[in-house]
Amino acid sequence: MSARWLTRAIGAALMVLTIAVTLVAQRDVGLARDEIVYMGAGDGYATWWLDAIDGDGKGPAPTSHAGITGAWGGPGATDHNREHPPLMKTLFGLSHKLLHDELEVASHTTAYRAPTALLQAIMILVVFAWAVAAWGLAEGVLAALLTLCLPRALFHAGLACFDGPIASLWLATLYCYWRSLSRWGWAPIAGVVWGLALATKHNALLLPFAIAPHFAWVVTRQAYATTAAGRVRWLRALGRGLAARWYVPTALVVLGPLVLIAVWPWLWFDTVAHIRAWLTFHLRHVHYNFEYLGDNLNHPPFPWHVALVTTLVTVPAGTLAAAALGLGVHARAWWRGRATVTTDGGLLLVLSSGASMGPFFLGSTPIFGAEKHWESAIPALCIAAALGATWAARAAAAALVAWWPRARGRLGVAIATIVVGGALVASAAAETAHAHPYALTSYNAVAGGAPGGADLGMNRQFWGYAARGVLPFLGTQAPGPGQPARPVYTHDASPAWGAYRRDGLLAPGLPDAGHEDGGIARSQLAIVIHEKHFRRHDFMIWASYGTVQPVFVLRFDGVPIVSVYRRPAK
Amino acid sequence: MTPQLSRLVRVAPALALVVIAAWSARRVVGAGAAVPDDAAWAEAAAEVRAAQRPGELIVFAPGWIEPVGRLHLGDRIPVDAAGRLDAARFPVIWELSVRGARAAETRGLVASHTATYRGVTVRRFDQVARTVVTDFAPLLGRAVVAGPKSGGPSLVLAEVGFEPHRCAQLTPAADQAVTLTFADVELGTELAIGVGLADVFTRRDVRDPGELAVAVDGFEVARLRVGVDDGWVRHVAVTRPGRGTVTFTARAVGLRATGRLICFAAEARQ
Repeated sequence: MSARWLTRAIGAALMVLTIAVTLVAQRDVGLARDEIVYMGAGDGYATWWLDAIDGDGKGPAPTSHAGITGAWGGPGATDHNREHPPLMKTLFGLSHKLLHDELEVASHTTAYRAPTALLQAIMILVVFAWAVAAWGLAEGVLAALLTLCLPRALFHAGLACFDGPIASLWLATLYCYWRSLSRWGWAPIAGVVWGLALATKHNALLLPFAIAPHFAWVVTRQAYATTAAGRVRWLRALGRGLAARWYVPTALVVLGPLVLIAVWPWLWFDTVAHIRAWLTFHLRHVHYNFEYLGDNLNHPPFPWHVALVTTLVTVPAGTLAAAALGLGVHARAWWRGRATVTTDGGLLLVLSSGASMGPFFLGSTPIFGAEKHWESAIPALCIAAALGATWAARAAAAALVAWWPRARGRLGVAIATIVVGGALVASAAAETAHAHPYALTSYNAVAGGAPGGADLGMNRQFWGYAARGVLPFLGTQAPGPGQPARPVYTHDASPAWGAYRRDGLLAPGLPDAGHEDGGIARSQLAIVIHEKHFRRHDFMIWASYGTVQPVFVLRFDGVPIVSVYRRPAK
Repeated sequence: MTPQLSRLVRVAPALALVVIAAWSARRVVGAGAAVPDDAAWAEAAAEVRAAQRPGELIVFAPGWIEPVGRLHLGDRIPVDAAGRLDAARFPVIWELSVRGARAAETRGLVASHTATYRGVTVRRFDQVARTVVTDFAPLLGRAVVAGPKSGGPSLVLAEVGFEPHRCAQLTPAADQAVTLTFADVELGTELAIGVGLADVFTRRDVRDPGELAVAVDGFEVARLRVGVDDGWVRHVAVTRPGRGTVTFTARAVGLRATGRLICFAAEARQ
């Protein structure tokens, strides 16, 4: 097998591995609150596309103003979830129709979530391809595996949400752009992929902050040597560079927005107004509650270090250490003039991380999603970790030759790389497996694991997904045949309650009791998903039930994540 | 640098990465072992159950372990005790803690008894308890209420600073004050007051402070201003024992202070 085909085979194997791991893992993960919304919207979008293609003739024409508004928009800011671009939701809906309704090969939830798993596999493939092309096969394999073994990223990769996919498409856009610098044919692909990223989540609007300075730097630097000396030489070099590679920015600027509009029928009329409404929604986004270092943050200004500290306590410590080494080695080589930081993409990845995390240093950007909001930056960290690990392995192999002469050459490097890289991957894999299925409660060794994260006052979870963990206990509390139902106060798990029932995870006779005080008053059982600002649910339940004693506490590594109360008998 | 040392230096990064990887996995995967399990809690709870008398307070530390503590001893914690103004009226405080944490209620106290059950530490603290001669919040029905308001007063178990507090809750109109007058009530040597802004969402959306002024027989003994991040603010004023009139004046400070949920409790103590 040639080296090229070996690389392709490994890439394909990594994709298959990623899809398998992600799809298997997500089966244990509860339904996140937002997923329910996206699944519902996705059903509507998918139906609209199928109707538009089939043209069944019932009701208003799908592509009419009324037809589009009926499926994609409306007067309210969140009608048909029009505050989020539609690409992934459309894929969720189509996937559900195909994998569940037509082929019957997946459960409802798995069918909705499958597209995110596919996007995760694409991200792993891009990481692999980029690292192989720029640095080597070992770096590619290690970078891909370390990216796969991120507890939080794998969690998000298993949800019918946008955070995993935008990280994938962000990285894919950068990769295509990077390739376009050496082969023009990649430029239109980069434009299309950026359009898909824009159609996934508004984070993609930050990509120009990484690409533009990189492009300006690269084309200027390359044209500088052949630009006549004189005044404003750099500026003239920039102009010549832009003229030589005009097709790169043109492809991005033209194709990106066109793809966004093409896949989002809501933008097919009143385009400017609808785009303005989309962006305004996020510029004025409500600040949800989020616990960080013991404080419940829900109003700016936020600490400038949220992104840094959260990354430092959620990415596996081995990966962080190797990344620090990789960055250091790469920076030193660049300083000494040996590294091709401009052409290998290293600079681009650094700029990408800056663009992804940068808004969170402002103190005004909503922080409620923590690491998922800057997940696009983390694969760069894993690539740096791969560089650090392989550098350390090569240095060790060179030194070990004196003690073990048979390890001279590629054998020694291979063994050292397997040992060092294997240790890092095994460690990250163990942590990722351990975090499952409550990865949002897990913290790395720097924090001291989940209990250490709790000691630090870091956020316990969000989206209410952990409620699934108490469904078996609630099953033991379900009424027997002929007995009256026992309504459950479910607060933030309420949107998922019907889906749990549909999926057979919730015993009969345990309906959702409703919201707030009225729901508690009607309930016989109540759950509290432990987040700092959800303590108010505990207190409301205590007041109604007359007891502070739960009957069950779900824990992860000893850290409470969901409590269940039962109304005492009168 | 000797060749031997040079080789060691070149091997060190690889060795360090392997060691860090091993430490990292072990620390994360084994983290749960550092948190006592239900069996340990059951043993600790058994001791408390045998020794605790009615009127003695049970607290847990750190705060995040509290649901587990309540799972094992919640039947020994009345709702009113959980929503206490403070711990001064309890002659004995039982603290159950893990991972070396301490509860705020026992700060400055010396444990008279300590025992550890596989990671759960039980400490008993004895203190000179204050006797409550008048608890104002449950007497709301007797108060004369005056002033523009959009809600209350009502006796509630409210979330203030993410802690439970049984309190009188009212919502003065923006930039307006509401007075609650309790006439002819028994007073002790001190008047303990706790006040804060209830409801995390209101605190997020309305950022202006609230204020509580307290007067005894027309003389102001306390004026407490509470902001959205101040939590539960306590104050103890000296009073003359006997009967008197106590007036609480709650104000939503500022024209933007709409829906300001001011929550207060007060106890006349001996």
